[in-house]
Amino acid sequence: MSGQKFGLIDVTLRDGHQCLWSTRMTTAMMTPIIDRIDAVGYEYINILGGAVFDVCVRFLHENPFERVGLLCERFATPCDGLTRGQSLYTFELFPDDVVALNSFALAKRGIKVLTVYDALNDNRNIESSVRSGHEAGMQVNAMMTYTLSPVHDDAYYVARTKELVAMKVEFISVKDPTGLLTPERAKTLFPAVVAAAGTIPVQLHSHCQSGLAPEVYSVAIESGFRYGYTASRPLANGASLPATEDVAARAAALGRATGIDTATLDEVSGYFAWLCEREGLPQGKIMQYDPALYEHQVPGGMISNLKAQLQVMKMEHRLPEILEEAAQVRRDLGYPILVSPFAQYIITQAVMNVVQGERYKTIPDEVRKYAMGYYGRLAAQPSAEFLERAKLKPGELVSERPGEHVAPALPRLRHELGAGASDEDLLLAAFYAPELIAPLRKPQPDYQFRTSPLYELIRYLGNKQDISAARVRFAGTELNVST
Amino acid sequence: MSNTAFSYQDLLQIVDLIKTSTQFNEFHLKVGDIELDIRRGEPAARPAPAVAVAPAAPAPATPLPTSVTPVVAAPPPAANVEPHRSAPLAFPAGSLLVKSPMVGTFYRAPEPGAKPFTEVGARVTAESLVGIVEVMKLMNSIPAGQAGVVTHILVEDGEPVQYGQVLVVIEPGSAA
Repeated sequence: MSGQKFGLIDVTLRDGHQCLWSTRMTTAMMTPIIDRIDAVGYEYINILGGAVFDVCVRFLHENPFERVGLLCERFATPCDGLTRGQSLYTFELFPDDVVALNSFALAKRGIKVLTVYDALNDNRNIESSVRSGHEAGMQVNAMMTYTLSPVHDDAYYVARTKELVAMKVEFISVKDPTGLLTPERAKTLFPAVVAAAGTIPVQLHSHCQSGLAPEVYSVAIESGFRYGYTASRPLANGASLPATEDVAARAAALGRATGIDTATLDEVSGYFAWLCEREGLPQGKIMQYDPALYEHQVPGGMISNLKAQLQVMKMEHRLPEILEEAAQVRRDLGYPILVSPFAQYIITQAVMNVVQGERYKTIPDEVRKYAMGYYGRLAAQPSAEFLERAKLKPGELVSERPGEHVAPALPRLRHELGAGASDEDLLLAAFYAPELIAPLRKPQPDYQFRTSPLYELIRYLGNKQDISAARVRFAGTELNVST
Repeated sequence: MSNTAFSYQDLLQIVDLIKTSTQFNEFHLKVGDIELDIRRGEPAARPAPAVAVAPAAPAPATPLPTSVTPVVAAPPPAANVEPHRSAPLAFPAGSLLVKSPMVGTFYRAPEPGAKPFTEVGARVTAESLVGIVEVMKLMNSIPAGQAGVVTHILVEDGEPVQYGQVLVVIEPGSAA
């Protein structure tokens, strides 16, 4: 395997800003640097994910399909788009007809690799995406979500890998959304997954919360993984993924070429460092190893949010008790992975247990539905105590594929929107209320597709309120500006 | 600083110098191929501790909200509680008080615009739902808990509720 290429997949335009900037990177911030990113030597560029789609609509008022189309058209490097399987861009389940239409819409806009995952690792929840993704001519990358629990052992992930092999996906990824993987854990898990995947290339997508991710990438490189997801340095580290710079250097040291052009990468990272300065947005910082992360596994963003909520209830002092209760609730619920929406379920249930001073006195409807198997197969059976308090009747348990109990939506949407509606109109209407869709119809701004440090300097000086006059001379050119 | 090309690293250094020199009216810089002169407006018109006000970079086009994940609605400040809406001091003896299990938001109907779960005067069974309390975006169905007749609905649709706040009052009795 030494000598074989270790390809890198850029997440700067997706998970990088999702983790560090609350997904607030606009299309206008991306367009000036597209041609440079394209020349870095990435194998794929991930441009779309659930949060990117949702934030585009709700907060940036940009049509996410337009962004996808623009980026796919400008990038010669093939683009990768991620969905949450049957839930697509949200956390509710969508019918198969909507899932399929979405695959075709993304393929039409130019997405070459459809990346899908299910937060319960119930691969029945990605069946519909894999099938329609292939029908639409895309390659499919299926992700398995890593977590720590007594049931999520190597055998569990090997079984999931074999399911994905049978589904004939083109890539299999290990996804570690909260940065829980350690080099020690990876040393048995990774070779087992690679062996089970056979000829299907395996990718690593791991976050940096524990500070261990770069080391985990080294283990992946040594274990025969073929690709790694990374971000340009200013948008790497922290809660984001490792820096392309670091992983490329590690791969080189291990005898695996990445094809990354470091001079071009420097320029790209320089641009994003400048963007952080210009927009007042943070750069990712390298995290210190923190053993507490492994105790409760609650993502950092969720803890800060929980603290704020407890403050409102004047209960901040009970945070340690709630985190401890969350660990108990997770055991009782059969070890769901602490990602959205299940992390929310566990935390909310833990808060209610602590506040009410009695376990499972009130159980949110969603938690009951989860326990019924409505969202998919559980990793382990819920505890007897939970089942007794939830009073789940045998007839309420769900065993069929979750997509089966969601009625087709397209006939109704076609009827409501009329014959003139495009596929994308139908999809947006399936996801959002009309008042959220209306602002997306505004015309696209005139995007700028080039920039340079000098251009950015002039723009900066022009925007500074306290500067009345400036003169810039560079390489025989002189520019004078004054107010 | 490089003599050949003006890089983003150079730009970041220059901007850092500009930002840390706000106490001066004039700024001259010559490094390698680049030369920059800046004159600032009248010193009197400028707020004095400009360094503290930095960064003066243009505001982000899209402000970052403090949190993306949903936050529980804040309970109404005590002073804002309108007296007429607070629970009557006494209910008929034996009345059943259906209370909120948590701080959250009360909804009277399964979804916006839908028919409310119950109305004053309606007969309910123990399993009948009288409302939903949303806690951190999760929906908690609130059952009547006992058969009877709804005598009071004390919280409006969409109103924030406190832990233990009485939502609905039921006069026990056999359901119709």
